[in-house]
Amino acid sequence: MKNLSPRRASGIRLRMAVLCGLMGIGLGVVVSAAYGIQVERGQEWRELAEKQRQRRLHISPRRGTIFDRNGATLADSVEVPSVSVDAFEMFRNVSDQQFPQFLDNASQRLAKALSLDPDQVRDKLARRRRFASLKRRVTVAEVEAIRKLERGEDGGPRLVGLMVEGEGHRYFPNRELAGPMLGFVAPDGEGKDGIELTLNEQLRGHVEEVRGLRDRAGRLIFSEGIKNEKTLAGYNVHLTIDKGIQFAAERELEAAAHTFEAKSGSVVVVNPQTGEILAMASYPSCNPNDIAQSSLESRRNRAITDQFEPGSTMKVFTMAAALAHKVITPTQPMYCEEGAMAIDNVLVRDTHPSAWLTPTQVLALSSNIGASKLGLGLGDRNLYEALQRFGFGKQTGVPLPGETPGVLRPRDRPWVQVETAAASFGQGISVTTLQMAMATAAIANRGRLLRPILVKRITDGSGAVVEETPTEVLRNAVSANVARVVSEMMVAVTEGEGTGTEAAVPGFRTAGKTATAQKTDPATGKYSADLYTASFVGFVPADNPRIVVAVVLDEPMISHAGGAVAAPVFRRVCQASLRVLGVVEEQGPPVAQMEDVVDLAEENYAIMLPKPPIPALNPVVSTSGSDQGAKTVVDVTGLPATSALQTLMKQGFIPQMVGSGKVVRQHPAAGAVVPPGTVVQLYLEPPT
Amino acid sequence: MSWLRKRMGAADQTQVGAVDPVLAATIIALVGFGIVMVYSASAIEATVRYHDPEHFLKRQFMFGIAGLGVMGAVSYIDYHRLRRLTYPVLGSVTVLMILTVIGMGVRRGGAARWLTVGPILIQPAEMAKLALVVWLAYSLAKKADKVRSFTVGFIPHVLMAGGLILLCLKQPDFGSAVVIAFLTFALLFVAGARMAYLFGGLIAVIAIGVQLVMSQGYRMARLTAYLDIAKHRQGSAYQPFQSVMSFGSGEITGLGLGKGLQVLYLPEAHNDFIAAIIGEELGFIGVLGLASVFLLIVARGVRAAFRASDDFGSYLAFGISSMLGIQALVNMAVAMAILPTKGLTLPFISYGGSSLLVNAAAAGVLLNISRPRTQRQEVEPARTVPEDAEASEILMVSAQEGAG
Repeated sequence: MKNLSPRRASGIRLRMAVLCGLMGIGLGVVVSAAYGIQVERGQEWRELAEKQRQRRLHISPRRGTIFDRNGATLADSVEVPSVSVDAFEMFRNVSDQQFPQFLDNASQRLAKALSLDPDQVRDKLARRRRFASLKRRVTVAEVEAIRKLERGEDGGPRLVGLMVEGEGHRYFPNRELAGPMLGFVAPDGEGKDGIELTLNEQLRGHVEEVRGLRDRAGRLIFSEGIKNEKTLAGYNVHLTIDKGIQFAAERELEAAAHTFEAKSGSVVVVNPQTGEILAMASYPSCNPNDIAQSSLESRRNRAITDQFEPGSTMKVFTMAAALAHKVITPTQPMYCEEGAMAIDNVLVRDTHPSAWLTPTQVLALSSNIGASKLGLGLGDRNLYEALQRFGFGKQTGVPLPGETPGVLRPRDRPWVQVETAAASFGQGISVTTLQMAMATAAIANRGRLLRPILVKRITDGSGAVVEETPTEVLRNAVSANVARVVSEMMVAVTEGEGTGTEAAVPGFRTAGKTATAQKTDPATGKYSADLYTASFVGFVPADNPRIVVAVVLDEPMISHAGGAVAAPVFRRVCQASLRVLGVVEEQGPPVAQMEDVVDLAEENYAIMLPKPPIPALNPVVSTSGSDQGAKTVVDVTGLPATSALQTLMKQGFIPQMVGSGKVVRQHPAAGAVVPPGTVVQLYLEPPT
Repeated sequence: MSWLRKRMGAADQTQVGAVDPVLAATIIALVGFGIVMVYSASAIEATVRYHDPEHFLKRQFMFGIAGLGVMGAVSYIDYHRLRRLTYPVLGSVTVLMILTVIGMGVRRGGAARWLTVGPILIQPAEMAKLALVVWLAYSLAKKADKVRSFTVGFIPHVLMAGGLILLCLKQPDFGSAVVIAFLTFALLFVAGARMAYLFGGLIAVIAIGVQLVMSQGYRMARLTAYLDIAKHRQGSAYQPFQSVMSFGSGEITGLGLGKGLQVLYLPEAHNDFIAAIIGEELGFIGVLGLASVFLLIVARGVRAAFRASDDFGSYLAFGISSMLGIQALVNMAVAMAILPTKGLTLPFISYGGSSLLVNAAAAGVLLNISRPRTQRQEVEPARTVPEDAEASEILMVSAQEGAG
């Protein structure tokens, strides 16, 4: 400023400096505010921002598809457009005076476009919220109408803030097929049951990666990094289920349940070589497409959630254990007590009373006494361990929710003798249909117990394999030799005079075992006289097993024998499955000869405690002394159960017990003269 | 280059040196940084609106190149020549402002601040600030000691500025109005206007400002929103709240360039609220850096004002420096919700051609003022006539009279 006097120039400079100082203060304020916002409260703001993004994201990536083993779709997601509105944006530039008129206009037009009630739309818009859902699942025509509103093509002013976006909707194209196993998906996109629940994470995809990709209007935007929409989709799940076999299993199960008026039932089909589950059917079934209409009962996947007392099918594993422990040799006959044997306070009975039976016949005729003797010969510890080795009493680890481990030991204490005997023919313990199928698969598979596989592999949106489940041998349950021998014995069940001839698959040697188990009456806590669980488990072809099928029908009312109720289901499911798998018929099988067995009726057994006296063994108590060999009933009151039983049985009476503890009363009373074989009822009470 | 130097030296008999290299380099770097930030802040918006993530990047790049070209060219024009342009520029800008107000303006977001010229939109208010600074510097330097008088020194300037402020408010562009008011007071103060007049004027402006805020619904809404941001976060304080959230999210080191997610929630993120994105992506360190860069620009500008060869250059340099500085300050303060929302850009960084070109031109003037001016005689004593100083004085005075 050479043109000015130095005094004036320095005055100017001074005043400039003053203003610079003022601006410097302003800069100080700005920087300290930045410090406060970013350094001191930065974390708070960041969390708030993250919450905002998260909250505004109400749509997750496309849920993965569930396929069967051949690529048929079992569950799929379809994008159904829905309409929502950012009402704040819509009225952003509308002045307060114009607002009521504009609101009326907008709600009328929106209601018309979407066929909604104008008053309701008006209420939603009047709140001026940033997000309000107007209508879900809109049609193509409605989307078109919304687009016209946005462009103002319907004659009115342009409407802003409207959003049309796809909302994932789960669709099960096969309706009820595998319904309880697949589960269902809630409207919020979360899997709620079955595979949809256990693999929810994988199917749903990684929501957090899309978080930042929605803008303030709720629109989905893909930034440069995520151009490929497929990487945002959930993983696809490929099950081992075969749609054809599943269909056959469900059809036959339902038909049998209707015919025999069963309460519920399940069928499991397994490939014994790999452990893959080919079908898992449950009755009653539900349609996951409209899950709201289904009852809770129908949503249960009974093959894994329901445990039942298996009954005679368990003899297969008792036999295998007995052979493994050399309790018996494959050809050594056993004395089967002519159909009745007392163990402690319990009388074990056979439906086919016999004197001597070979081990094969024990299975073929389903002798409870034979099985009991094998079980007692093994001892409770060995039997318990053997059953554990076959996978009972423990979850199989199949990736489905609600699997029960079953019960091998009541309250985890060792078995008493009678419990060991009962367990050897499948009473007093509980298993699931899947456990039964896997244990049988171990017999079919040279003794190797496999982990069941339901999910074959999981792939990402581009088809790359993310996860694959290989066949896993859990352990050798028994030696290959024993397994082969037991397989042969099981063939006898479906041949000749075996109890399971209804199960024989024409053209194939069929191995299997029937069971008709008594059920505990929930009202009394005791075994009921008319509630049964009928089941059949087996595999085919016996020499080179391709499939293991387990069939369980709970509380059939018309008939209750496993050979009549479950065996035909087994046969038909096998026929259909072998057709689906393309297994060719074999030559006619050699027929096993079994001459010493006469009755082909179903096997059964009875535990004496709750059952009424059996007529044949309960003749009218005669007081006449003329009867030859009539004996006087001794007094057993005051004795403990075991001694009372032993005393009475030595004398040729058949004791029947009610209650537990010591005998307080007996009928006939002490001193009565009755024929031998008369049932003496003992009433016991625990000592006080 | 020599021909240019000759031309520049032709007006007065002085030797003109090189521009302030620190200032030039800082501004070039800032423009480059602005292009990067505009891309980061606009990619998503551009994809949605134009299906081209580089839509704003391409334009800002072109504006940047053009702006640097303008700056370079202007830095070679001797700022004394601007005196002749003062009234034509001020006049045409005023006409453009009037055109914008009387209905030719293009409306966007409730304000008509733009004019269409062929394919592009221009914002006259951006030009008005620079035009006013040039005119004030010219007029105050010419009036010299008469600045202290009320009728000659105070009233004409306040009337001119008041007219422009009214035109800004009419658009409405409250932010530009405040900047114009600030610059008027700052330059009057620097030139030595009486404090009594200044204080009187200030009180009058505050009274009018309060009246204006109360009368206009949206301004009142913005003010109440500003006073309680958290309460109005979904409504009228949506922008400031999102902006502060964005700022805070950066914490100390930031989320990283291009990784800011608040872009999705901040309308005009690449424009008025670009500081919030800088805060989010580069953190407190980035904001500190940005503040330092503007501090450097203002400091070098004031240095040029101190060293200017005459009072016109000094006022001009100081006016331009404080114009850049105050806009940066207010813009950052708004992004942190220290001040209520205004439509002010962050100089050299915010997206927009008008703002960038005008600021670049202003920077060019500043650079020219920063050139050291020495007597030609000292370099080429053989060629020059002896009566050098007086001659240049006479020339200057005659030029002033010619322009006035």
